[in-house]
Amino acid sequence: MLKLFQDFLKSLWPEFYRHRTNVHLNSFYTFTNYRYLWFISISVLAATALAPICIATLIYYQLIETSVDSDLNHRTKQLTVVAKSAVTYFMEERLNALTFTVNENEYKQLTDNTRLAEILKNLKLGFGGVTDLSVLDADGNQVAYAGPFNLEGKNYKNQSWFEQSLKQMNYISEVFTGYRDVPHIIITVRSAKPDGSSFILRATLDTERLMQTLSSYKTGDYADIFLVNHEGTLQTPSIHYGAIFTPTNLIFSAGSDESEVIEIFLNGKSIISGHSSISRDLTSTPFTLMVLKEKAGMLKFWQDMSFKFNWIMGASVIVILIVITFASTFMVNKLYRADKAKAETMMQMEQSQQLASIGQLAAGVAHEINNPLAVINQTAGYMKDLFSFEDQARNDDEIVEYIDSILDAVDRCGTITRQLLGFVRQFDVKIKKVNLHKLISQVLSFHKKEAEYRRINVTVSIPDSFPELETDSSKFQQVLVNLINNAFQAVEEGNCLDIIAGQLSPDTVELVIHDTGCGIPEENLKKIHEPFYSTKKNGSGTGLGLSITYGLVKKLGGRISVQSTEGVGTSFTIHLPVKINEGRKA
Amino acid sequence: MKILLVDDEQKFINMLAKRLALRGIEADTAYTGEEALKQAKNAVYDVAVLDIKMPGISGPQLKKKLFTLHPNLKFIFVTGHGAVEKSDEDGSEKDIYLSKPLDLDFLIETVQELIQTR
Repeated sequence: MLKLFQDFLKSLWPEFYRHRTNVHLNSFYTFTNYRYLWFISISVLAATALAPICIATLIYYQLIETSVDSDLNHRTKQLTVVAKSAVTYFMEERLNALTFTVNENEYKQLTDNTRLAEILKNLKLGFGGVTDLSVLDADGNQVAYAGPFNLEGKNYKNQSWFEQSLKQMNYISEVFTGYRDVPHIIITVRSAKPDGSSFILRATLDTERLMQTLSSYKTGDYADIFLVNHEGTLQTPSIHYGAIFTPTNLIFSAGSDESEVIEIFLNGKSIISGHSSISRDLTSTPFTLMVLKEKAGMLKFWQDMSFKFNWIMGASVIVILIVITFASTFMVNKLYRADKAKAETMMQMEQSQQLASIGQLAAGVAHEINNPLAVINQTAGYMKDLFSFEDQARNDDEIVEYIDSILDAVDRCGTITRQLLGFVRQFDVKIKKVNLHKLISQVLSFHKKEAEYRRINVTVSIPDSFPELETDSSKFQQVLVNLINNAFQAVEEGNCLDIIAGQLSPDTVELVIHDTGCGIPEENLKKIHEPFYSTKKNGSGTGLGLSITYGLVKKLGGRISVQSTEGVGTSFTIHLPVKINEGRKA
Repeated sequence: MKILLVDDEQKFINMLAKRLALRGIEADTAYTGEEALKQAKNAVYDVAVLDIKMPGISGPQLKKKLFTLHPNLKFIFVTGHGAVEKSDEDGSEKDIYLSKPLDLDFLIETVQELIQTR
């Protein structure tokens, strides 16, 4: 179970991640740290792919914010201007009606309560919102009254609005409760009696009508429209600040007719606030119109949109990262495999070059040995001649025998060096005709003595009809040397080594090298062609023999297979083309 | 039958000459190419046995020079580099190569064969 899990993990990690450093191979790799390469590849790709997305997103958000801000400011300002003109109109309309009443009626008529009640009725009909009417003389005494509250005979001399009313042609008061305990606004118009003294016509406006006018401009849930006086006290109820007469910190200097829009923070909310003082041509009112718009509420649409946008962005970033990771892993793995193959090939090349240079060295050595051998040969020969041709020594068999043994040794040395040279010389010979029988005899001659000592029965069976092969003789020779060497190492005393050749088809021949040696255990069979795999102890083998053989047979356009049973024997079977394909000779 | 032996291995050809003499074959020795040319001017040989690698004039060079002096002369090359394939560069003459160490009987056989083909 655990092993299964480990296998699963293994298959998940790319090949290069499990790269083990091999001292022989390492120097041939182009890149050494594949994990680092992988990491760099992913980082660089991710950075280049994601940076523009991030920058674009930031710019997008900034643009949205600026445009939403300016749009919001603009709309707030517009609303402020519109609402202001409505409130102004509301005040002006009633003030004008009052002025008209004063101008059209004589003092006598106005002080007539019946007449005043009629005027009040007409005003209510025409404009609405007028609660009562009264006429005050210059001393503050109420001369006449029409309305629901019985306030006749009251004196207003000490009230601040009365002082103001006397000074100005007309006057609009703040909202206050006064004697009647109901929030109201007083509008007064000053005029002159026939005797020249001043009198005042006062009208009371209920705030209900004003509030209705204001709330008709409220658009959406996030807008708040209300009036404050110069001290910042609420004159109409506000969503944000509370009921009427609540003091606020919204204090603006009077007289600025322009609408202004600013951004404020209230209870942790960002609010766009527009304000404008309500003023008219002749007199100013104590009111400042406030328009508050919650930014968050207005931004809700944009926030909803950017939420979706963020989702899409996040998803694409994840997809990009996954694609980049997979692509990088794939590419780095490909690179790793190519690099691995290259490293292995280069190592093989280095080894074959080493073999070639060893061959050249052997050639030099053989040549140097052959000359003194020739001298020894001839000298010993001459000595033998002397004993043979001169009568007195002819019978000295002992000396002749000694000389014969010298000559025999020279002969053997000569044979060996000749074979060595013959072997070496073929390193640089390319494709030529090869007589298999000759080649095998040549290779076997190296093992002649060994076979005799160990009583190994070597049989070679090549049919007479076997064709001459046209192939790279040096490579083919190396294949034979390697396989026959291996066979000799595998067999024990008294075993057999059979070399059987046959023609399979006009184009293909088969060569079987069979021994009755120790065999190869099954678990090792698939590893024997791997480089550096060796069962020989203490590094006596390089583990390259069969690996090179495998490569060489492939280069010769053939294939090699092995059948082995442990303890019974091993057969190497080679299939080769009779004529090597010209394209494959390299 | 007269043979000219040319090799810078002096002991080798001295011994060879003596052994040939014991078998009734007359053989002169020369240690360099120049010496061989000098001797060839004064005498007529049937076969020249030449070492391929020699200081000064090499075996094949010497062969060409000797051939101009004696067109009927036959050549045998001897080399420490193993048996070289018989080459037919000239197209007409096929050279014979023998490898060191040399088997005397085989040399005599080869020489006799060469003379017989003449």
